[in-house]
Amino acid sequence: MPQPAQYRGMALVIPDNDSEWTEYFAHARQHRLMMRACAACGLMRYPPSPACPWCMALEWTWREVSGRGTIHSYEVVAHAIQPGFKDATPYVVVLVELDEQRGVPTPDEALRIIGNLVTADGAMEGERDAAIGRRVRVVFHDVADHLALPQFTLTDEPPVGRVWRLPE
Amino acid sequence: MATSSLRDKYCIVGVGETEYSRHSGRTTRAMAVEAIRKAILDAGLRASDVDGMMSYQNGDSTPANWVAPDLGIRLNFYMDVVGGGSSTEALIGLSMGAIEAGMCRTVAIFRSMNGYTEFRIGGTGARAAQPVRGLDLAQVPFGMRSAGQNFGMTFMRHMYDYGTTSAQVAHVKAAHSKHASQNPKALLKDRVTVQDVLNSRWIVKPLHLLDCCLETDNATCVIVTPAERARDLRQRPIHIMGVAGRVSKPRTDFHWAHGPISRVAGYYAKDIVFGQAGITPEDVDVTGSYDAFTFTTMLQLEEYGFCKKGEGGDYVSSGIIELGGKRPNNTSGGHLCEGYTHGMNMVIENVRQLRGTVDDYCPKAVDGVHTYDYGPRKCRQVKDVEITMNLGWAMPPTGSAMILRK
Repeated sequence: MPQPAQYRGMALVIPDNDSEWTEYFAHARQHRLMMRACAACGLMRYPPSPACPWCMALEWTWREVSGRGTIHSYEVVAHAIQPGFKDATPYVVVLVELDEQRGVPTPDEALRIIGNLVTADGAMEGERDAAIGRRVRVVFHDVADHLALPQFTLTDEPPVGRVWRLPE
Repeated sequence: MATSSLRDKYCIVGVGETEYSRHSGRTTRAMAVEAIRKAILDAGLRASDVDGMMSYQNGDSTPANWVAPDLGIRLNFYMDVVGGGSSTEALIGLSMGAIEAGMCRTVAIFRSMNGYTEFRIGGTGARAAQPVRGLDLAQVPFGMRSAGQNFGMTFMRHMYDYGTTSAQVAHVKAAHSKHASQNPKALLKDRVTVQDVLNSRWIVKPLHLLDCCLETDNATCVIVTPAERARDLRQRPIHIMGVAGRVSKPRTDFHWAHGPISRVAGYYAKDIVFGQAGITPEDVDVTGSYDAFTFTTMLQLEEYGFCKKGEGGDYVSSGIIELGGKRPNNTSGGHLCEGYTHGMNMVIENVRQLRGTVDDYCPKAVDGVHTYDYGPRKCRQVKDVEITMNLGWAMPPTGSAMILRK
């Protein structure tokens, strides 16, 4: 097992037998956002998991997604509890709905992923521009030789649906 | 749906708790012993009558088989499960199953934690220092570790979907603080206003400090036994009409994958628990909707059908949930004001409401004599309570529920 990656005071531990995360983060280190896709039914899932939640098949492949999506919800952390985040407050956590596989296989389902809202060069983005409906794209924050964290930055694409943010 | 064959067959016969504090100065073992002892005495049982014990924890407590012998109890069954909120109702249901299976006769269920001085529930200290592995890697590296951080986006999306406001859910804190002002045990006894909540500092938007529950040191206990045994005991038996345990939304590995994300587990639990009991929300006199945060109370009340989906903000700000209202919620002050117990105190409070002996400031409360004056430092007994319901919250995708009657 590689030494745990250190990020903002946290030890990110990925044992060798955790093929889901080992491969996911290794792809991310190559700056590719990859989802596990079922070899039987073709549906992608996130987080990477050992079986298909729709057809129970165990075989899978990795499939790259565009990394583009829409903010489905968000929050702004004013009071950090992790010491390594104290100097980052207020920071924004976003739930991003990726463009691929929206509303599939049922209207309530989608490929959604959590990250921080960051600037194009990876610094924490201010809360002023965070809003449900705004468009984002993935950027990668290199943490170690074997691991990068996918993060998201705003784009100037037109929003999807109603744009809404928490009233002041 | 047919009612359950176990409806009314089991009773809660004893309840007990330690002081709610931020300074217990003792072990979870010592606190558990006190809470269990109080519940045994409350029930009019002897230690030798208790032969089952269950507890829940997250590596922050003392297991049942270390606690029982302190009180001279020999167990025929015990089990400690991993879990937090919503375990209370689930373990009560499991205790009925253990008794039904003939494994034991009377079960004491406890939760003991130094949630302020040892292992802070809010996630600071020991919890924040834990290594990040497994499914935590999908959230924790992004500064999403505490309960408020884990739940905040659910409420944000509810605001987007339905127009719910911070001011509406602030009424939950205002109501529960009113209730706590009539509760000598409550850690916070001062009433607060909606404006106080809105003026308190942000923790994680959309949650203010006063939208968040307390962190406390305490232990709590409830005792379950068959109804035919309960009839001979000291207290009026409180019958379990229905129970649902840790009912979940799809994809609990990452519940955000299956929306609507403003939907919570009660959507799935309500048919189970109301079906067993054979009643509807209209029949419920008092609710105990888990208030880890103001909005968790609101989300569950609407999901279980006390109002329409999306109208929870109106419901909790209408006065219905206050003492004197149509269906008061968390009459002890709950987790926002009495103390944080992972759900136990809300069950204990509903048991006392059904007995008619809520421990308020009425001089003869212990005899069931109340003034029903809901002014500060006065009465918190609800008149003519027949049926109560607990809505237990673990996370947005998981919850438990229980319906009790006299």
